[in-house]
Amino acid sequence: MANKSSRRDFVKRSAALVAGTFVLPQIIPSSAFGMGRRIAPSDRIVIGSIGVGSQGTSNMMDFLKLKDAVQFVAVCDVDTLHLSKAKETINLANKNSDCRTYGDYREFLEKEKLDAVSIALPDHWHGIIYSAAANKKINVYGEKPICRTIKDGQTIVNAVKKNNIIWQTGSWQRSVANFHRGAELAINGRVGKIKYIEVGLPDGNKGIGTPPVKPVPAELNWEMWLGPALKVSYRGVSHWDWRWILDYSGGQLTDWAGHHIDIANWGAGLEHTGPVEISGSGVYPFEGIFNVPVEYDFLCKYANGIEMRVANASRLPLGMGTTWHGDQGWVHVDRGDIISASDPKILNEVIGENEIRLYKSDNHWQNFIECVKSGKPTIAPVEVAYRAISVALLGEIAMTTRQTIKWDPDKEEIIGNTRATRLLSRPYRQPWTLPTV
Amino acid sequence: MKKQYLLFIIVAGLLTLFSACKNQAGYKTLIITGQNNHKWKASSPVLKQILDETGLFSSEIMTTPEKGGDMKTFNPDFSKYKLVVIDYNGDSWSEKTNNAFVEYVKNGGGVVLYHAADNSFPSWKEYNEMSGLGGWGDRNQKDGPYVYYKNDKLVTDTTAGLGGSHGKRREFLVRARITDHPITRGLPVAWLHGTDELYSQLRGPAKNMQILATAFADSTLGGGTMRDEPILMTITYGKGRIFHTTMGHADEGGGPSMHCAGFITTLQRGAEWAVTGDVTQKVPWDFPSAAGVVLRPDFKEMTLDEAFANIGNYDIAKSTKYLSCIQSHIRDLAGDETGTLKIEKMMVKVLSNNEATVGAKKLLLRELSWMGSDYSVHAIKNLVSNAELKDEAEFALTRLQK
Repeated sequence: MANKSSRRDFVKRSAALVAGTFVLPQIIPSSAFGMGRRIAPSDRIVIGSIGVGSQGTSNMMDFLKLKDAVQFVAVCDVDTLHLSKAKETINLANKNSDCRTYGDYREFLEKEKLDAVSIALPDHWHGIIYSAAANKKINVYGEKPICRTIKDGQTIVNAVKKNNIIWQTGSWQRSVANFHRGAELAINGRVGKIKYIEVGLPDGNKGIGTPPVKPVPAELNWEMWLGPALKVSYRGVSHWDWRWILDYSGGQLTDWAGHHIDIANWGAGLEHTGPVEISGSGVYPFEGIFNVPVEYDFLCKYANGIEMRVANASRLPLGMGTTWHGDQGWVHVDRGDIISASDPKILNEVIGENEIRLYKSDNHWQNFIECVKSGKPTIAPVEVAYRAISVALLGEIAMTTRQTIKWDPDKEEIIGNTRATRLLSRPYRQPWTLPTV
Repeated sequence: MKKQYLLFIIVAGLLTLFSACKNQAGYKTLIITGQNNHKWKASSPVLKQILDETGLFSSEIMTTPEKGGDMKTFNPDFSKYKLVVIDYNGDSWSEKTNNAFVEYVKNGGGVVLYHAADNSFPSWKEYNEMSGLGGWGDRNQKDGPYVYYKNDKLVTDTTAGLGGSHGKRREFLVRARITDHPITRGLPVAWLHGTDELYSQLRGPAKNMQILATAFADSTLGGGTMRDEPILMTITYGKGRIFHTTMGHADEGGGPSMHCAGFITTLQRGAEWAVTGDVTQKVPWDFPSAAGVVLRPDFKEMTLDEAFANIGNYDIAKSTKYLSCIQSHIRDLAGDETGTLKIEKMMVKVLSNNEATVGAKKLLLRELSWMGSDYSVHAIKNLVSNAELKDEAEFALTRLQK
């Protein structure tokens, strides 16, 4: 407790030193001063970012908006152009020139003393870096989908739990009113008992064929970008377009699972479990290096009898979004503040004080920062994110094997299928390994 | 003695059965051509090949007299056929032939209308009812409404104006609108079609017509109506069923529109539906998706044997289609042990082949990592010492030996 006042003194001192002459600005993280990772509400959260491409930058901007609550100090990326751009943005916001940059997350995690880190990377890196940050006891804002394989996900969940850090998943739809409202109507039986859920995610894109091998641009550390993934020649595809290649992503399906499947689970009380049976099929490209399914359609059955169909939007009557079908009607939510129902009266229903009130947040990034300060759970905790992406990853396995997959959501194992079980994890290219927790 | 007799009976029985099958070599199909503002000499043999390839049809091409010729001499006996394919846009037939055709359809005959066939016979009422929608030939509001989709809603538009237009030829995305029809069942909901004319602003009676698929005529891509125009339609007339495809503009040898696996497959499925009302054909593994056009050089679906014959020379810079073919066959086996082991053995053969490329082996190792068995392990272990294949070999062994 006494540390709190000494921290303020220390911050003042280091500020004076910075203003003075030579010392590297070293902002001491709030969590370095007693109370474990509890931080006094008056203190600013010291934060950095690993991955400052498009989504990482977007998150960084959202954190920078909370300038009274956070202090952005450092960024890490395998692309020096990303780094210089992010550094410039942060320095402008901080009105100084102190932002530090790193090309290797290990050095970043070792040297920086952070309360929190915002991580936005291609999915194949999530298992290693999320777990490494958790093992450093740094609170994480991590982009969805939180893992590329079930095994990666289990490792991350364990690392977060064991290290008792605060975790927020970038499933920001939870902090938007119409999604919250739809989920609350569904979970409180306003469409009756939920029987069936439809989840529409984006259709796949046009391919690019197989571009020729190109020299790796000077700004990009290609070897580090690939990391644990199998080595391939650089063909001009890295940032953004990694999501169309199975080595790094499952395509629109896994990209969006952390949104509309997550919301579906929220409103149906499936956040802490998974399906028991998954079957379906995908449409795969004929030609080119983009090899994720362009269309996908699978059905998940849950132990309580609920069925969830996940498909690309063009296959579903209501297209994009989540639709909970109960025995008395349906309610549908999608981006653009869309909320509709089989009977408009459903949308006027009042949820009583004694009914299920879902966690409310109006700002996803602020919710994370507040929870880092208070030590309370966030609106999108790690296990919930793992359960959302599991649905997509099991769907991916069902489509790859074209078999009905039996899943034990408690033991988190596939039952009686060796081939499908192999697809639950992916060996890492040496020297990379999943951190032990 | 008794045994020999029994054997004789069996052999004789089999022979009878065999010849009976042979006699039913396919639904007798008549392809009518001979006049067209399109290259009918190129398209009609391709149509024949595409249909006969299925084993369901046995088709013959009949040509009408040339333009201005004596149409009285054109008198097909429609009753001999189960299916009539119209690749014709030209002079009116004789009234007798028209009547015979109408009777044929009314009595349950199947029809495929192909591309410019819907330009033909603008003043033949019954024919236009069979085609549902048509274009050009001074078709306008008197012939019926425009029919199209706008913002995913079916629109019947009686605005005055000429029927029939198309922008610059290009690849376009076909979007299935009815996905539970026998013709479209099991197909992707969207696929890219090979460079073609996108028929637009068709108008006609549109009676007893279902639009199975549309394509968006994007004005920014070389001219278009900014509507989702009908591309595949079914129409019923009397007891007859008509399949109408506006695709397939022919160049010499067919061109990309006719080599398109989407065109070929929908034509084959539409033709079967027109004859029987159902479709028994399996969706081919190479049916295109929104990811890209699939052109078949020889109009045929690539077989697994062909894929394996070529994958040894696999150069990812050239094509991934051989791997796609193998992957698709693995998926289709849905865990069948015998079939999977058979493919696995073919894959291992490539791994052990010194002539096969590193690129091919890398990709096959990834597949084997999940679908392989003990059978593969030895061959994969041999590759660990190969610097170029070490990572993939270890990847596969780690998974297989778990």
